[in-house]
Amino acid sequence: MGKVFCFLSLSIFVLWSCSSENYNASDFLAGEEFTDSNIRVALIDTITVEISTMKFDSIVASESSRVLVGKYNDPEFGVVKSSAYMGLMPSSYVIDSEAEYDSIALYMKYDSYYYNDTLRTNTLHVKRLSATLKPSEGDYLYNTSEAEYFEDDIGALAFMPRPMDGDSLEIKLSDALGVDLFEKFQEKEITTSDQFKDYFKGIALIPGQTDNGSVIGFTKSSESIFVRLYFSEAEETERVQSYLDLNMDVISSPVPFFNRIESENPNTNLETLSDQEVNLDSKDTGGLSYIQSGVGIATRVEFPHIKNLYDIKGRGTILDAVLKIRPLSGSFTDNLILKDSLSVYIVDQNNDLISQLLVEEIAPVQGILNRDNEEFNDIYYEFSLGSYIEELFTEEMETEEALILLPDNYNSTVDRFILNGSGNTGYSTVMELTFAIYDEEDD
Amino acid sequence: MTGLANAQSEGLTSSPYSLYGLGVINQTSIGKTNGMGYAGIGLRSETEINNLNPSNFALIPQNSFFYDIGVVGELNSYSNASYSESKSTLNFSNLAFAFRIADRLGAGVSLVPYTDVGYTLVGLETNIEGSNETFNSNVTGLGGLNDLSINLGYGLSEAFRLGIKASFLFGNIEETEGFAISNSYFQLDEVTNYSGVRLGIGAQYDIFKDFTIGSTVQLPVSLKGNVTRSVYKTLDDVEIQVEDEEGDSVSDFKLPLELGFGLSTKLIKSFTLSADYKHNFWDSTEQSENVGTYIDQDIYAIGLEYLKNERGFKYWDRVRYRGGFNYDNGYLAINDNKIDGYAITAGLGLPVGRTSNSMLNISYSYGSKGQIQNILVKENYHTITINFSLEDLWFRDRKIN
Repeated sequence: MGKVFCFLSLSIFVLWSCSSENYNASDFLAGEEFTDSNIRVALIDTITVEISTMKFDSIVASESSRVLVGKYNDPEFGVVKSSAYMGLMPSSYVIDSEAEYDSIALYMKYDSYYYNDTLRTNTLHVKRLSATLKPSEGDYLYNTSEAEYFEDDIGALAFMPRPMDGDSLEIKLSDALGVDLFEKFQEKEITTSDQFKDYFKGIALIPGQTDNGSVIGFTKSSESIFVRLYFSEAEETERVQSYLDLNMDVISSPVPFFNRIESENPNTNLETLSDQEVNLDSKDTGGLSYIQSGVGIATRVEFPHIKNLYDIKGRGTILDAVLKIRPLSGSFTDNLILKDSLSVYIVDQNNDLISQLLVEEIAPVQGILNRDNEEFNDIYYEFSLGSYIEELFTEEMETEEALILLPDNYNSTVDRFILNGSGNTGYSTVMELTFAIYDEEDD
Repeated sequence: MTGLANAQSEGLTSSPYSLYGLGVINQTSIGKTNGMGYAGIGLRSETEINNLNPSNFALIPQNSFFYDIGVVGELNSYSNASYSESKSTLNFSNLAFAFRIADRLGAGVSLVPYTDVGYTLVGLETNIEGSNETFNSNVTGLGGLNDLSINLGYGLSEAFRLGIKASFLFGNIEETEGFAISNSYFQLDEVTNYSGVRLGIGAQYDIFKDFTIGSTVQLPVSLKGNVTRSVYKTLDDVEIQVEDEEGDSVSDFKLPLELGFGLSTKLIKSFTLSADYKHNFWDSTEQSENVGTYIDQDIYAIGLEYLKNERGFKYWDRVRYRGGFNYDNGYLAINDNKIDGYAITAGLGLPVGRTSNSMLNISYSYGSKGQIQNILVKENYHTITINFSLEDLWFRDRKIN
């Protein structure tokens, strides 16, 4: 009897452990009607998307990644103009007492960025700053900051920009300045950086008053932008050419540099953006919204009724949320080019910038321009906002924050976009939300 | 143990049909009836366990202890209008023992699979609501319910026996569905646990010496279910656990009232005929699947055993030869098509030793279920069962070895 029970209990164990092993991989396509999926998936494109335009009072410009100079007339955004201001720093303070002054020139290296028509002539005026560049408060200089400079040019150049060449621009500067600087070094009147900065506050790069060409980017680094003071030294048998560089100052803190980017006389819609807290609803602007980087005009996106998803019966979860925004047809040209991507940032109810929108705190969310059907005039920016929408959906509190769209590197460009917001039938911004309902019995 | 005879399908399974309800209801039983078309409600069996009627436990001889261990192997080929596939499974099928308590009073305990779930369906195409697009999901199911039964059989007289049975039905069914849509992947894992106790009664009456009739009643029961659900997804390429083993209730699964009638008789001297009819009242459970409804089911079973001479000197004279047929018109209608099925069985009872009734029972069954029509799947399956139906003799002097 004991033997039998021993055997039985062993067998029970085996019976149990075997029952989970008849699982095989299969390629059997049962057909859609053999059974239904237990899960319903719905594509919802009726989520309310509110689109408006806002303008930052100012954006931090001293951290701009390039030097921007140029001017053009935009049909919607008005006269767009960028001038650059920077301090310089000598590479050395020693010039031999026997040396003789030769010449002085400013060198600037293209960094390949440009906006608008580069086949037109740009003018560049170099001015001498009359006051040291420093923030009026805080640590930063802004795109709206003011700088003081002497009216007279210390150099000027009219040129056809070749931003893609990787070349440098050479601008001859005034010999009066050159000789003055030369003597200060040679006579050891300037031997420290403080003495130099006190004597020479820096330069301003101002586009010509009547220019209507392009805004050009130059590499922002001490090696790429510098003033070179040429002189000759007497060797035993001949005179030898030598130089001393005054490099762009990127070491001092706060950095004495900013691009002043402004746009005058824009269209009437944009003129109403007098204050950062103004949200210009696209319903009031013929369905349009605007972006102009550098100046700080951004398209603002809100999803005020996302919690209505809870009205769907059952338990569900968001699988995907794609925001599609179409640029206004005809608003971009070969010169006024449409950039391939847009970045997404979060602002609070006062439109103060909080942070960039990231997935998992690492990957920035990007809107990618989908040109697949460009020939049919169907072109749109596509944003994967799944994680953000899920957060809005599951968060207990209604958020007062909103998203804004700006190009990546928005403090270093003058890219502009005109988008179809809401209310423009057929072209309106749409959110395509993929929602899976996995338990219909539950509420 | 009539609960085991109410299905038209095979044992442990890899059947697409097992996604419905609690899975495929296990048909194989214990001992000789596997070779006899699963008929045995009216079969009087004094030499081994007949699990199809609890009243038969009254017949366990004095000093006998029966036990039965079974293995089942199945090769299932299933096909629909476009695809076909074969799968094999091998598993233990039962464990049972029975003993006599007093004169005309016997008891037995058995553990058999009640239902089996084992399916993988790929490419289930479902419309994405609000679009013209579809998504393809893969569904797998695994598990099943066990039936642990306690039987008591009592003989009111030499010819009339009554039996009762309590079945503890319990087990898990695990279903997983997963699919990818655009950039996202979604997976739902549900483990549903069912349990319940079902009562049954049975009777057998020997009208003549070699003519027995029997009947069984299985009472309806609601199996309580609860589900543990896990949901995973990826969103913007990030893996997210939406729900982690969260419990939830599910509707009970109702098993119907089941009535069975059977008879057995000796034909000529060497043949035993056993025939059953069962009716399962699924209509009144008022249950439906998302693609079908449960409807009343009829099962017809007939089996024949040939035994030349139980006490024959030649081994082959003592071997039992069996054959049978089972037809089941099905309990599930998909789009008004009932999934019916049949099985042809053959079996051998090979005696083990001469001092006891121990027997090695082997059966082979060829069955077919469903049809290739529209959406349906046709299954053809070969089932082999091997049962060690053994008898231990207690308190008996071993006179011959």
